[in-house]
Amino acid sequence: MKQFKQFINSFLLIELLKGMKVTFANMFRKKITVQYPEEKTPQSPRFRGLHALRTYPNGEERCIACKLCEAVCPAAAITIEAGPREDDGTRRTTKYEIDLFKCIFCGFCEESCPVDSIVETRVFDYHFEERGLHIMTKDMLLEMGRIHEDQIAADREADAKYR
Amino acid sequence: MGKVHIEIDGQKLEAEVGSMIIEVADKADIYIPRFCYHKKLSVAANCRMCMVDVANLPKAVPACATPVAEGMVIDTRSQKAINAQKAVMEFLLINHPLDCPVCDQGGECELQDLSVGYGDDVSRFTEGKRVVKDKDIGPLIATDMTRCIHCTRCVRFGQEIVGIREFGATGRGEHMEIGTYIEETVESEVSANIIDLCPVGALTAKPSQFKARAWELRQAPSIAAHDCLGSNIFVHHRRGEIIRVVPRENESINEVWLSDRDRFSYQGLTEGARLLNPRIKRNGEWEDCDWQTALNLVASEMKRIIGASNGNDFGILMGNNATTEESYLAQRMLRKAGSNNIDFRTRRRDYTGDGRGSVRSGMNFPMENLDTMDATLLIGADLRHEQPLTALRVRKSTGYGKAMAINPFDGEYNFRLSNELQPKSNMLAQEFACVLAAADALRPESLNAEAKEWLDGIEFNDEHKEIAQNLIDGEASCILMGVYVQEHPQAETINWLAETLASVTDSDWGYMTQGCNAAGNKIAGAVPCQSAAGGKSEQGKTAKEMLTEGLKGYMLVNCEPDVESIWAEQALQNLKDAEFVVALTSFADGRVPDYANVMLPIAGCYETSGTYINVEGKWQSFAAAVKAPGEARPGWKVLRVLANLLDLSGFEYESSLQVINELREKFDAVGDVRVARKVPPPMMVVNEQETNRECLGLYMVDPLVRRAGALQKTPKASTHPISISRVKTR
Ligand code: SF4
Ligand code: SF4
Ligand code: SF4
Ligand code: FES
Repeated sequence: MKQFKQFINSFLLIELLKGMKVTFANMFRKKITVQYPEEKTPQSPRFRGLHALRTYPNGEERCIACKLCEAVCPAAAITIEAGPREDDGTRRTTKYEIDLFKCIFCGFCEESCPVDSIVETRVFDYHFEERGLHIMTKDMLLEMGRIHEDQIAADREADAKYR
Repeated sequence: MGKVHIEIDGQKLEAEVGSMIIEVADKADIYIPRFCYHKKLSVAANCRMCMVDVANLPKAVPACATPVAEGMVIDTRSQKAINAQKAVMEFLLINHPLDCPVCDQGGECELQDLSVGYGDDVSRFTEGKRVVKDKDIGPLIATDMTRCIHCTRCVRFGQEIVGIREFGATGRGEHMEIGTYIEETVESEVSANIIDLCPVGALTAKPSQFKARAWELRQAPSIAAHDCLGSNIFVHHRRGEIIRVVPRENESINEVWLSDRDRFSYQGLTEGARLLNPRIKRNGEWEDCDWQTALNLVASEMKRIIGASNGNDFGILMGNNATTEESYLAQRMLRKAGSNNIDFRTRRRDYTGDGRGSVRSGMNFPMENLDTMDATLLIGADLRHEQPLTALRVRKSTGYGKAMAINPFDGEYNFRLSNELQPKSNMLAQEFACVLAAADALRPESLNAEAKEWLDGIEFNDEHKEIAQNLIDGEASCILMGVYVQEHPQAETINWLAETLASVTDSDWGYMTQGCNAAGNKIAGAVPCQSAAGGKSEQGKTAKEMLTEGLKGYMLVNCEPDVESIWAEQALQNLKDAEFVVALTSFADGRVPDYANVMLPIAGCYETSGTYINVEGKWQSFAAAVKAPGEARPGWKVLRVLANLLDLSGFEYESSLQVINELREKFDAVGDVRVARKVPPPMMVVNEQETNRECLGLYMVDPLVRRAGALQKTPKASTHPISISRVKTR
């Protein structure tokens, strides 16, 4: 009897039809596929993407070389060297590098910064064409900051009340 | 002194009468927070952080200023004590800028640490904070006076320890400022100790300003290499780069202090022009090459010159901060290769004492004893500029004892002298002999006939008599000769006088030596008259002969005779005229490239392991703190390989430890024997021109210091402490 039932089921492709039911049901649902890169999913203001070093509106870099981000980074991705700046003797970094291969995008660096200098932007799609480019230098980071400053500022603004 | 019994935090303790609560607690490892208290300074009790609760007293009392009494019960953690401490902390933070992120002290700041325990997370203070203008006090110390919490440690250091009031407080209350009264450089030779003393970031080290955080630094114990004390230090480095040098506490040598020279000399290594590759000069042009080529060339040239001249025309000169291992290997190599021309005393005129005296050179009593001398007689000693920390010790003794000086120059002293004689530079021995004659008159039974005969006809006056009397009266007294004496043409006579005077007056005696390792070099046998541990050796050429008469071949180990030696000009000419000069050096600049034929890069002070033997005969070994840059290798390794290339046997050392152990064994077998002088040396009359009219300046003593940028910018760098103008020629 059991054998007969099995035979009928497989002969009539009942199992297949059961499976196809899911397929057909989804065929007519609303699609959620995003046409990346033309389309993008919405991001939170707290999104943790590529890093940037911010500057003040007058162009002065914010970073004061306190090295807290370097100390807090769990992946030891940040390398900083500091010294008095040539022209005015203020405390500045002479080297600020983030190794993106090491970084785990935890956002601790941003969290620790007393002057909101190192931040993580919404940029998450990038690639490296050459060996060595995975190390973001100070100039690259500052440039990121300049390009994305409006967005960065708006995001900090939106998140401010929860901090 | 009597004892009292007290109880701190439930712990029953015994304490000396008159000691303060905080001292007793410190000894028992009970921590009481403090800012102004420092064990080496007087009690000021002006920060009030150390409040503790003493039973039966209505108010909390400062632990640093409350002497213990029998039966005292003290609670450092009671609510009353903690409330008082919290209140003080809130008060201190009112005017503190809280700029920890840009402050160099951040991470090692006493205020920061204690505010974690006693500070509040929000400030109740909404008024404006006070701001104080920074002071420019020279190239060594950076100031940020807004951060000052007025503990006055820096002021008390100047007043009490150095004896030079460079810092003081002006104004009162909120307007109180710590500063130099008038804009001026802080220029004492131990000034940078206030960096360590300052509990906050008001005073920080300028050469390492903003370079590193305390948590990034690694710490390696080492020995300072610029004076004969062998101060204990920590080298702080990060990623292989030396960031700073700080004192390591050693009560019997440097206490908790460090001279500026020892503290900032590391800059020579980090900023000097380093030699990174072995180099050979071909047709007047320098070419980098590998070690093999360079060492082969050196070995073959050495063989040639030593062979052709029966060892006469080749010589090795050791520098002021050569390690004992380097000296030992160098002399062993040279002697085995067939020559005895090795010396480190490039600033000595009188070699008649060679073969006598002790195996090592230096003091015969512990340095600590200088603190408690009733009478100290300085002969040709400019302590402040030669061994700055000994000057602090002698100063301590002048609190109750007497200091006297027979210096043929206007010395700068940071203590009061009870007697001072200033003979002409060529009359130093004669003047000193008068004191001995006076002592002989006071204690006629102690000298032997020969000495008495020697003293015959020497007249003395009341001043001489007073000096001798002071030495005799003092329960503990000493005669201390400075580097000046060792450079004097009558060094041997003066040494004999000191030794004899010491025996007549029951005093200790000793002499300070040039460089950090004169004792080590001598024990290692880097002198022409004796081999290792006082072993026999045929007489080789002295540094003077090598430099003034000229040789065909020279090896310089960390030595720049064209600057360091007394015969700088002659030395330069002879080095230029030599057939072959090989320099083992850390630096590629200076005049060495002009006269050398081969330059071998060796590791600098903190980059090699080694041993320094200080003036009291303490053997202090240290390991390398950082790796030498480029192809540079520790000097002992270079010498060892060179010895192998010279086909000498017995040079199979694998570590510097083996080298020093071998020497130690030899030395322990003979001990520090003294070969006493049987006949007094002749009293010569020397021409004024032949005496030392110049000493090496404070920041000129060795190749490393000469390249230390910040030190060279200080006012002290430009003056030779004993310059021609200051040597008395009456
Ligand atoms: S995001 Fe995290 S892992 Fe990446 S650099 Fe910042 S702290 Fe380091
Ligand atoms: S925490 Fe901020 S200010 Fe400090 S070093 Fe990092 S980026 Fe610069
Ligand atoms: S500068 Fe430093 S050591 Fe001097 S009083 Fe101020 S806090 Fe104290
Ligand atoms: S440490 Fe006692 S009052 Fe400052």
